[in-house]
Amino acid sequence: MFSDDQLNEIIVEAENVPSRVVPEKTPVNSSFSMVSSISDIDMTDSQSFGNPDDKKSKQLLRFSTSLNESFLQTLHRSPGSVGIDTSHENIQGQKLIASLIPMTSRDRIKAIRSQPRTMEEKRNLKKMVDKEKSKQSHRILEFNCCAQCLNSVSQAYRRSKNSLSELLSYISLWQKTFKVIGGKFGTSVLSYFNFLRWLLKFNIFSFIVTFSFIIIPQFTVPEKNTLQFTGLEFFTGAGYFQDTVMYYGFYTNSTVQHGSSGAPYNMQLAYIFTTGACLIVCFFSLLFSMARYFRNNFINPHIYSRGITKLIFCWDFTVTHERAVKLKQKNLSTEIRENLSEIRQENVKLTLNQQLIHVSAHLAAWVVSTGVAIACCVAVYYLAENNSEFLKNHQNPGAVLLLPFLVSCINLATPRLYSLFRLVERYETPRREVYVLLIRNIFLKISIIGILCYYWLNIVAQAGEECWETLIGQEIYRLLLMDFVFSLADSLLGEFLRRLIGMQFPTSLGLQEFDIARNVLELIYAQTLVWIGTFFCPLLPFIQMITLFIMFYVKNISLMMNFQPPSKAWRASQMMTFFIFLLFFPSFTGVLCTLAITIWRLKPSADCGPFRGLPFFIHSIYSWIDTLSKRPGYLWVVWIYQNLIGSVHFFFILTLIVLIITYLYWQITEGRKIMIRLLHEQIINEGKDKMFLIEKLAKLQDMEKRANTSSFTVERRDVEQTSPLHVREHNAAHDLRFRRSVQEENPKV
Amino acid sequence: MGSHGGLFYRYQDLAPQLVPLDYTSCPDVKVPYELIGSMPELKDNPFRQRIAQVFSDDGDGHMTLDNFLDMFSVMSEMAPRDLKAYYAFKIYDFNDDGYICAWDLEQTVTKLTRGELSAEEVSLVCEKVLGEADGDHDGRLSLEDFQNMILRAPDFLSTFHIRI
Repeated sequence: MFSDDQLNEIIVEAENVPSRVVPEKTPVNSSFSMVSSISDIDMTDSQSFGNPDDKKSKQLLRFSTSLNESFLQTLHRSPGSVGIDTSHENIQGQKLIASLIPMTSRDRIKAIRSQPRTMEEKRNLKKMVDKEKSKQSHRILEFNCCAQCLNSVSQAYRRSKNSLSELLSYISLWQKTFKVIGGKFGTSVLSYFNFLRWLLKFNIFSFIVTFSFIIIPQFTVPEKNTLQFTGLEFFTGAGYFQDTVMYYGFYTNSTVQHGSSGAPYNMQLAYIFTTGACLIVCFFSLLFSMARYFRNNFINPHIYSRGITKLIFCWDFTVTHERAVKLKQKNLSTEIRENLSEIRQENVKLTLNQQLIHVSAHLAAWVVSTGVAIACCVAVYYLAENNSEFLKNHQNPGAVLLLPFLVSCINLATPRLYSLFRLVERYETPRREVYVLLIRNIFLKISIIGILCYYWLNIVAQAGEECWETLIGQEIYRLLLMDFVFSLADSLLGEFLRRLIGMQFPTSLGLQEFDIARNVLELIYAQTLVWIGTFFCPLLPFIQMITLFIMFYVKNISLMMNFQPPSKAWRASQMMTFFIFLLFFPSFTGVLCTLAITIWRLKPSADCGPFRGLPFFIHSIYSWIDTLSKRPGYLWVVWIYQNLIGSVHFFFILTLIVLIITYLYWQITEGRKIMIRLLHEQIINEGKDKMFLIEKLAKLQDMEKRANTSSFTVERRDVEQTSPLHVREHNAAHDLRFRRSVQEENPKV
Repeated sequence: MGSHGGLFYRYQDLAPQLVPLDYTSCPDVKVPYELIGSMPELKDNPFRQRIAQVFSDDGDGHMTLDNFLDMFSVMSEMAPRDLKAYYAFKIYDFNDDGYICAWDLEQTVTKLTRGELSAEEVSLVCEKVLGEADGDHDGRLSLEDFQNMILRAPDFLSTFHIRI
């Protein structure tokens, strides 16, 4: 890159063309101020879209890109070398080191890591910084051993975190499979499998928590199981399983105590707290993931959304399979051609007639899809209501599977029906089409779950049946299992059949493409059921774990055999953000509402489960607080409960504070948008400045040439002088934006 | 990034006779480009030559162990976006002049589409790209233009990634 004192040379030469000035090395002071002005401007640039963590490293990144070679020279030359040249670069290198020294060691490591240098240079940089720091710290007296202690603790923590993450990546599940999938199908299909693995982690965590805190204690006080075991239990969940740890009804409501000296273990509290802990951890995990995705992927809608630049520069480097690469190149060419023709067709305006037709087609499609969803919900509700009488008439234990069968059929058929609407509707962008399809599907699935929850909480729970919680648990288990069986059948049979049929047609209709959206929605549906069901059936996370495990391998095999790589670019990160948002917003919040209604409004059954006999589930907490208030040591818990959790004023004030902070952040964001726009305009203006100055430079060169063509020897010298000018002309133009600051600093110009 | 040990053995596997198992004496060993380019992770990548050139010491594609580690560290999942954008810029800058000019773009598009597009389509594409991404309208993309464009392409982080 171009060094800054050479910039001065050009300005000097351009201004003083007649007098042939030998390029003078500018005094060190001006270069210093120039360097500081560079770093100041970079600071404002990075402030507009950096977050505080990356601010410093961004500044250093830009700083160092202009010092790349000079720093290398600093390393190789001895400190006392002569020449203003080397001392100038030495100073720039030392400035970099000086800026690294005051940082905390964590920030320093991050900053060095984000430097675009080779490993050797980074190592040397770190060595030099450490050396300087140790030199400095010798002069400063040791503050207190506390700071040193803290330092060593944080270092040990960092080291252990590093080794832990290395260990985790070592045992990371399915790493090789991901590599193969990514190599053949690219990042987009990989995002589905990533999502599956992420959901698996949730379920593993839930299982571990419920297993340790609820199931194991229950195992220590077993009750006799008098029912017979037939094979049908795996499908219906009833029968033998009814009296096992699988369902809520089996759990004792007593305080488990082994021996007279053992610690008492209150099953009621354990049950409710474990469920609460699982949900809280899931909530925070979802929230942080969503926030992280929003921060990385939430962009201002800009012309780039339809642009061709992303197609060119976002080549998928994870694709490594030869045929996949060739196919991807072919697909990319097709997409580029489509993009070029789209841009040509953008200006085609539709007539009023055509617009009306389009709008009415959209409206009709929406009405039909909503109608279909409502019809399905009504059918499910009707069947659920009449199910109990139906069951009394038919003694076949398999008859309970009718409702789950119907629900799974609806889930299988209706999304495919929605995809057919594509033939009637025309959308401006394929992205809008995908979003509309997703919204319709999620509306269908959530309304089915919603209607079932309504039925369970309002009818089943209040019908006066014995152990209604176990009944609900069984229903959810059956739904989940039927869904799993249908997915298996779809993957193993449906996709194979589709491929066999497709092989008859030699066109691209032959092989199907992996429908990421539909598959992710199925995962979200299953996970919602698991979250609702964990309260009624604590073993459900374990079952979902096994299910997801099997699904991974089945989908993988089916993918390799029956599918071709996607032909269109699929915006994986934006879609992932949307999916995680869907997981959080209708899905998880719905689960929270359902469980809240259960715990606060419903009466537990009188004869079974850990909450038997209480008027409401929540009364277990109330009675616990009551017992605590009698013990002097735990009054602080009671105080927190009464004044923070139970008090309306506290929540009112908290809400007000949150709203104020949100409003302030919103205004800050608006201000930043304005600043981005202004900076963008400034860049354009600087570009125009540059063009103007380049033209001026060219004119001055012409004048100089014409003025010096007369004498031969003078011409010779000028060729020598102007050729470095020609070489650096383009580079000079790039840094001409600093001309103004240079002019202020440099007295010669 | 997987443990350094794993990467070292991958490097050693490329040229077992050249690379000694014992690196404590810091030998000056360079694995030639032909072997690097034949790695399964790189052998079908349209940009493998540029990747090797960018990360090698002399720009010739022959890599030392440090270069090798550098390359996979930048192309791993953990590398920060700015670092990836910097190296992606260097990879797409075929003539190494610090800017992505129209000629660089033509080379990129040709490598991406393997000759499927005609010459005039290629130049149309280059024009469109410059029109969209060139912020200061000087006819070529600087590093800042490129980074600006990358900010609006959140997929970049996940696609500029080589698994090892």
